Amino acid sequence: MANHCSISELLACFLAQDLNDGEELQVGIALPIPEAAVRLAHLMHGPNMELIFLGARMNVHHLERVPLPAYGWDRRVVRWSESFSDRGHRFDQVKDWHRRVFFIGGIQVDPYGNTNLIGIGEDFKRLKFRGPGSVGTPTLTTHVGRYYIVLNSHSPRIFVPKCDFVSTVGWGQGGADARQRLGLPGGGPKYCITPLCVMDFSADEKRLRLRSLHPGVSLDEVRRQTGFALIVPAVVPTTELPSREALQVLRERVDSVGALR
Amino acid sequence: MTSGPRSERLRDEHQAAALLRDGMTIAIGEPAPMALVRAIIRRGLRDLTVIASGLHLDMLIAAGCVRKVISYYAGGGFGVAVAPAFRRAAEGGDIEVWECEEGLLTSGLEAAAKGLPFLPWRGGVGTSLPEVNPDLKVMRDPIAGETLIAVPAIRPDVALLHAACADVYGNVQHCAGPGWLDLFLQRAATCTIVQVEKIIANEQVRADPWATTIARADVVVRMPYGAHPYFSRGYYVQDSAWLEDYVTAAAQGGTALTDFVGHFCREPASHGDYLERIGIKRLLGLYEY
Repeated sequence: MANHCSISELLACFLAQDLNDGEELQVGIALPIPEAAVRLAHLMHGPNMELIFLGARMNVHHLERVPLPAYGWDRRVVRWSESFSDRGHRFDQVKDWHRRVFFIGGIQVDPYGNTNLIGIGEDFKRLKFRGPGSVGTPTLTTHVGRYYIVLNSHSPRIFVPKCDFVSTVGWGQGGADARQRLGLPGGGPKYCITPLCVMDFSADEKRLRLRSLHPGVSLDEVRRQTGFALIVPAVVPTTELPSREALQVLRERVDSVGALR
Repeated sequence: MTSGPRSERLRDEHQAAALLRDGMTIAIGEPAPMALVRAIIRRGLRDLTVIASGLHLDMLIAAGCVRKVISYYAGGGFGVAVAPAFRRAAEGGDIEVWECEEGLLTSGLEAAAKGLPFLPWRGGVGTSLPEVNPDLKVMRDPIAGETLIAVPAIRPDVALLHAACADVYGNVQHCAGPGWLDLFLQRAATCTIVQVEKIIANEQVRADPWATTIARADVVVRMPYGAHPYFSRGYYVQDSAWLEDYVTAAAQGGTALTDFVGHFCREPASHGDYLERIGIKRLLGLYEY
């Protein structure tokens, strides 16, 4: 790939440049790309960002060495914490979550960005694939200012016309007022990011729309790997490549173990 | 007028385990009090409703102790998306899953603690959660007319927790704060059993009452290294290699899993015997925080 970076590095850098100083960035477990992206954004342009991971709330912008991404459940990350967001009352101040940014994965995603962590099958009592469960994603995606859907693969098994079960509501049945009608105060999903492309949501319908293709990926391939008709604008740009500086900070100060390479 | 001495709440592991019975609703804190979890498996308890999220839930399912699961997350980790025994049991219909998520779970626990039939919660509105879990009722709130979910009170018979220290009277002090669920579980449960790394003097508790996170735990048990293979704040870090071995065995299933659970949970007659199987060198290698 151009600039000699991997797709995961490209995605981490893309996400990082979309995060703003002053925001609270909460990352759950098993999401290595967002985990790296929030650290990169924090170091590059976010001295007032707060990183929330495994209940630890930290600002490590001033440190030469920042906590490496754990890429899993390792409570040692709390060593960098200034406070614990889990001190008995993690979900007690949701009214302020409009400035919080969150990231989710999913085993199914539908055209309106509704996602599924519950399972696959027609009958809940006889699932063909039992998912891991929703963690706190229904509550977080209900309230946070915006969130990103970040997926490790892009296939018709994931991008389905209708989720077998919905664990997080993106844009419901579609329409700019879809979330308002359901009474969901948060801003909803902004981008859906996969190893093939970046998608956003159309303004009126709030349906998944191709935003950019990663270098070397064809429109045909994305169409083939998506189980419904994606909105495709007349001109589809290539996803922005990381700057030399971003890639250097990512590799030397964030992902020094090379997990994203 | 005469009175006896103040009652001590310190029990040994066997006395504590004897309080747990078939069919109970047992809530398990974070980090999980693994010595007590292993005691459940050793005793061969059955038909439990377990409120737990993590690989300890998977072990209890693998050991055949569980009928119903109340969990917000049963991820596997170590390259496995879903906890293997949980996945098999759920897909096979061997366990009932009370589908929820973190905010719904804590709402149900708080309803129990506050003596209410339910508490409302917004997270989950518009999702399939009320369909797959009919105990969750979509409601119209009588104040503003908004659509919310009524979460029924979740009432554990017992909460099993792990903490740093306690005195013999049940004054518990977590190191670096309680895990995020522990206090919800303790407030909601009928009875709370806390295993601790060490027993401290009542005078030490009095010296800093502000540090007491749980007052009047019903039972405290001395269990150094009791959270292994998980971490214990202030004492040791997680033994990820052990957990990876478990996930490998659980993914294989069959005798690999039965042997693993047998070796670590059923055969050791006590917590001390378990620690001997783990080995002092391995335990010392985890001794940092």
